[in-house]
Order: sequence, then structure tokens, then C-alpha cells
Amino acid sequence: MVNIKELQASIGETPILKGLNLEIKPGEVHAIMGPNGSGKSTLASVLAGREDYEVTGGAVDFEGQDLLEMDATERARSGLFLAFQYPVEIPGVSNINFMRAAVNGKREHDGLEPIKGKDFLNLVKEKASLVELDGRLRNRSVNEGFSGGEKKRNEIFQMAMLEPRFAVLDETDSGLDIDALRIVANGVNAMRSPDRSFLVITHYQRLLDYIVPDFVHVLVDGKIVLSGDKDLALKLEEKGYDWIKEDVIA
Amino acid sequence: MTGTAEPIVMDLKRAPNVHAATQAKGEALRAALAAQRTGTGLAAEQLDALPVPHRRVERWKHTPVAGFWSTPEAPSVQTIEAAGSEACPVPGLHAYRMVFVNGTFDAKASDLPVHNGVRCEPISMSDADAGSQGPLESTDWFAALNQAFATEGMKLHVAKGVILDRPLLVHHHTSGENNANFMRHDIHIEANAQVELIHWSTASDSSTGMVNIMTHMSVESGAVVALDKVQDEAGSLQHLAFEQINQAQSSQVRVHTGTIQGNWVRNDLNFRLNGEGCETVLNGFFLPKGKEFVDNHTTVDHRAAHCNSSEQYQGILYGTSSGVFNGKVFVRPHAQQTNAYQQNGNILVTDKATINAKPELEIYADDVKCSHGCTIGQFDEEALFYARSRGIGEKEAKAMLVHAFIGDVLEGFAVAEVRMEVEHRLAIKHGWDTWNDTLESA
Ligand SMILES: Nc1ncnc2c1ncn2[C@@H]1O[C@H](COP(=O)(O)OP(=O)(O)OP(=O)(O)O)[C@@H](O)[C@H]1O
Ligand SMILES: [Mg+2]
Repeated sequence: MVNIKELQASIGETPILKGLNLEIKPGEVHAIMGPNGSGKSTLASVLAGREDYEVTGGAVDFEGQDLLEMDATERARSGLFLAFQYPVEIPGVSNINFMRAAVNGKREHDGLEPIKGKDFLNLVKEKASLVELDGRLRNRSVNEGFSGGEKKRNEIFQMAMLEPRFAVLDETDSGLDIDALRIVANGVNAMRSPDRSFLVITHYQRLLDYIVPDFVHVLVDGKIVLSGDKDLALKLEEKGYDWIKEDVIA
Repeated sequence: MTGTAEPIVMDLKRAPNVHAATQAKGEALRAALAAQRTGTGLAAEQLDALPVPHRRVERWKHTPVAGFWSTPEAPSVQTIEAAGSEACPVPGLHAYRMVFVNGTFDAKASDLPVHNGVRCEPISMSDADAGSQGPLESTDWFAALNQAFATEGMKLHVAKGVILDRPLLVHHHTSGENNANFMRHDIHIEANAQVELIHWSTASDSSTGMVNIMTHMSVESGAVVALDKVQDEAGSLQHLAFEQINQAQSSQVRVHTGTIQGNWVRNDLNFRLNGEGCETVLNGFFLPKGKEFVDNHTTVDHRAAHCNSSEQYQGILYGTSSGVFNGKVFVRPHAQQTNAYQQNGNILVTDKATINAKPELEIYADDVKCSHGCTIGQFDEEALFYARSRGIGEKEAKAMLVHAFIGDVLEGFAVAEVRMEVEHRLAIKHGWDTWNDTLESA
């Protein structure tokens, strides 16, 4: 589904990703953990097509296509989704109009007519219930004045609306209370399927109790330095990252 | 009125500031006009005394006048039919209509209100003589030029308590080259009357020259007036619009100014709140592109207590366009418990676009609430990326942000058909396929 090879990316003159390799097969859930500032969100942004980052080397194959050749809109329409670590507020643009434009963008790409108003509203109802998103939030401006947890739920709601093939969740668990964490995780689990893959960025093992990953990777200083199964997350929770820096990298 | 014996700073006369070359050009234009047309016989002394505007005159600092000085020609056409245009620029609008083509009243294209208590006629057919229009309140040379040469326009009188059943559209159309079209609208709304007015200006692709429109409005106590003003002129005109609106006690006036298209536009909108309890709203948007220039100068003069004024101007500047916003708010010594709000937001889409924005508040009363804010920025890149990451195209994402940025102003237009046509025209000009028509009601 996604094959990342020797990916290097910089912001300005500063290299952040320094030769990152990762292959994700259809249906798999991969988790990425790693210290603050190690490049996790940078990886997510580069995959989503943020232009602030310059890709200086490597390649990313997304279902047989050269992902790095596509712009952000095309990537999304081709089935890539990023749940932002910090979802953006857009005052004056209602959540529901925003989502309709997004859904219709994808439909255009798939050669379909714009969705009918009634069908759209039914879809919204169905998907909002998946993450128990308060109905009132739908008509408000995108993320404006949403609490931290509401923003994260809204990300998962958007994901559910767009039904991506590959979703990157960047710290979707941060800022969620215990109940919300379970709700969001259930929303993600409901979307797991043999032809949909996930890359889950998190600092906490707790999320991975709910969304059980097939693989766990440790990102340090722009590279994946260690990979394992879900037990690796438990070990990281217990021991932190210092032992990796000492044992593995040295 | 103010109770102060001494004139306060805002009233002080400034020494005339003359720029010899510009002065000569202005005087040549005036002489050419005087040779060609009858004029009103008014304002000669003011014109003698006022400097022709140039960059060293405070209110014209960022407003280039170089395009004004071509020798005017007599208009080639005088009817909307001959100009090959539409009498009503707003599809589906059910309104009374006065059409002026190159400054001449087009009776055939017009549909004057027939309504009890409403007198509406072109100045040329009015039995009240032109001299009744009162003294010039503006100290602007171009305004004085209007007063000297505007022999046509609308005379509107709405009697006490009358509610006009439909909006009244005044359509100015310009075509042909080297125009010097002067119009003067005199509007008198008596106590507790209510009207919705639309001023819509259009022009043909090849039109050049000056359009100079002066609107005088006297709004008596308890009257309610909305004015939707839309400028959508092709060609390369210099468009000047002066509005002097005097409000009596407890009257309400809302003016919305939308500049969709215009080579060079200067709006000079002035309110005087003379009685207590006035409500004043003045909002506007401007979206110039290419080399267009749009200037909004506004003044709200709080002369009485307990008045509220609210002002919001939003500009989005594309290409190498430029804009000016100057918003003056005066609160006179006795205008206690004034509530004055002013906001001006600007987005520069390119690094070649410019805006000169200046809020000016002069407050001489102590028990008042005045706030103002002014922002100049770019499109919110984070928001754009967020939208694109959801599969929304860049153009559509930008259109969404534009809609959000001017949405409050658009909402405020009084006549729904006007608002819809404004959105439609903006979409055509900027190549947006869709406006996100709202679903909330669905
Ligand atoms: N726009 C930027 N300008 C300058 N430096 C940046 C920018 N974005 C990221 N960086 C730097 O790149 C490095 C990696 O940042 P990134 O956000 O990818 O880390 P992260 O692993 O997601 O951290 P966290 O766990 O705190 O979310 C950091 O040192 C950060 O300061
Ligand atoms: Mg991060």
C-alpha cells in the first residue's frame, strides 16, 4: 500500500528526516513512537504534501503511484488522509460546507456526480454517530472554538466521511479524556479493513491497547531505529527511549 | 450643536496646499467643462478656493489623480438601449428603477415608484430648482466640481411614516470615451419612513473618463434606510462617489458598499449623527485585481449622545492592485455614551498588491466605548493546507476563505437578490466555480 524508501526531508536548511524506510501493507496498522522533535509530524506532513518541507531524497510509493509527484489535494483524493496533531481552525467556513466540498472533491476524482444534499446529510449523520460528534458542532465553523478533544473527534469524523485507503493519525489520542479515547479508538477500529491501512503516531501505549498495531516503530532523529510488534510499545512505556539511544544507535 | 465655542481639531481649516502642475490640469478640466456645458452656477467660489487634490493633500495621499485630466467629450449615447446594456443589472430583482446613462436620465428604461407619499423624479424634471440642494458640506475639490456640473440625478422624497413597498434601484451606466459624468442624488426621508435603496454602477468595456456621483441624504427621526451600493464597472474609469448622510434622532441607516470591479474607485462616505439614539452601519468589501485601485474613505461624526455606529471593511487584493482604507470616527464632546466600532481587515494575495489602511479616531467625550482594529495579512496558509489535505482544490479552498472573510459584509446587504448577484459577479471575475451555498437549511 505504502512504501517509503530512504526518505529525506528538510525544513529550510535543517534536515529532519534522514533516510527513513517503512513499508505498510494493506490492512496493516503501524504505530510510530519516538521522542519529541524526532520527526514524527514531519513524516506525516511530508506524506500529506505540505510544501513547507523539501524532500531532498528517497521515494514514496502509494498504491503503485509516485506519491511525491502529487499535490496535497490529489493525495487526499487518491485516498490518503492525515488526522492533524493540531487541527486548524477556519473561522467563517462551516464544518458541513467544508466536508461537502471535501466529499465532492473526492467524488469528482472518482468520476462521480456531486453528492445530493439529502444523501450528504444522511452520510454526515451516520459518520458523526460513529465518533459521537455533537450535532451542534457540524454547523459551527471548522474547529473554531472546539475543545481539544472535540477537534480530535472531528478529525476522525472527517476520516470516516472520506473513507481513505491510508490514514495517518498524528497524536489523535492527545487531549482526549478516557471516554473520548475509547470512542475515537472504536471509530478507528470500525474502519479497519483488509484494504485500509493506518499509521498511528502516539506517545502512549494506552491508545495501542485499543487500536492494536501489527507493528511498532521507534523514530529517533529522523530515522526508524527499531521495529517490533505491539510488545515493543509496552517496553517503551516502561523504559523510555534512553536505552534505545544507548544500545541500539550506539 | 457641539456646545464648544472653540472649533475642535477636526474642524480646523487647513491652509490650501497647492501643487502647481496638478492645479493647472484641474483648472483646465474645469474650464473645458464650463465651455461645453451649462452647469449649475454653484460652487464657483469653493472651486476657486479649494486645491485640486494631489499627494500632499492628506485625504489624497495614497490616491493618484493622474488619470483624470483628459479633455471630456460629449456622451456618445444617452439610453441603455443605445448602449446595448440591461436596464436592470440584477436578475429577478423586483424593484423600482431609475436608470442614468452617461449622466442622462433614461425614462424608457426606468420604472419610477408610484406610491403614496413618495416623490421620485430626475432632477431635470423636478420643479424644485437645483439651488435647493443646499450648501456644499464637503471640502473636496471633486465634490465641488460635482456641485458645479451635476445637473441630473435623482430627487427622492419619502413622506412621514411611509414604507416603500419595493427597493428603489438607481442604475448608473457609463459607455464611451472621455466621459465626465456628474450626477447628484438628493434624498429626503421624513420621520419614521422606511426605504431600501440600491445604487448599482456598470460600464462598458471600452469606457474611459470620470464618473462623479454625489448623494445627499437627510434621514429624519425614526426613519430607517438601507443603501446597497455596488460598483461593477468594466472599462477604465475613474469613479468618485461622495455620500453625505445626515441622521436625526433614533434614525437607522445601513450602507453596504461592494466594489466588484473598477479601474479606479474612490468612495467618500460621510455620516453625521445629529440626534440621539442613531444607529449607523457601514460595511464594505473590495476585491481588486490586475491594476485596479479602490479607495474607501469614511467618516462617522458622532455629534449627539447615545448613538451606535458599526463599521467593517474587508479587502482582498490580487495581482498588482492597490487599496486605501481611511476610517475616521469623531466623537464630539457631548456625544456621551457613544458606541463606535470599526474593523478593517485586508488580505494581500500577492506580494505586489498594496493597501494603505488608516483608522483615525478622535474622541472628545469621556463616557464612550470605541474600538477599532486593522489587520493586513496573507491567506491563511495553514487553513489552505488543511482544506487541501481533505481533497479540496486550491482554488476552491481559496474561494472558501474569501467567502469567510467577506461573509459578514455580504450577509449585511439589505436586498437578497443584490447579495446573490454580487456573489455571482465575484465568482465570474475571480473564476470560482462555486460558492459554497449553505446546507444548514437543507
Ligand atoms: N516549520 C518548522 N520550522 C522549523 N523547524 C521545524 C518546523 N517544523 C518542525 N521543525 C523541527 O523539526 C523537528 C521535528 O519536528 P516534528 O514536529 O516532526 O517532531 P515530532 O516528532 O512530531 O515531535 P512531537 O512528539 O513533539 O510532536 C523539530 O526539531 C522541530 O523543531
Ligand atoms: Mg508531532
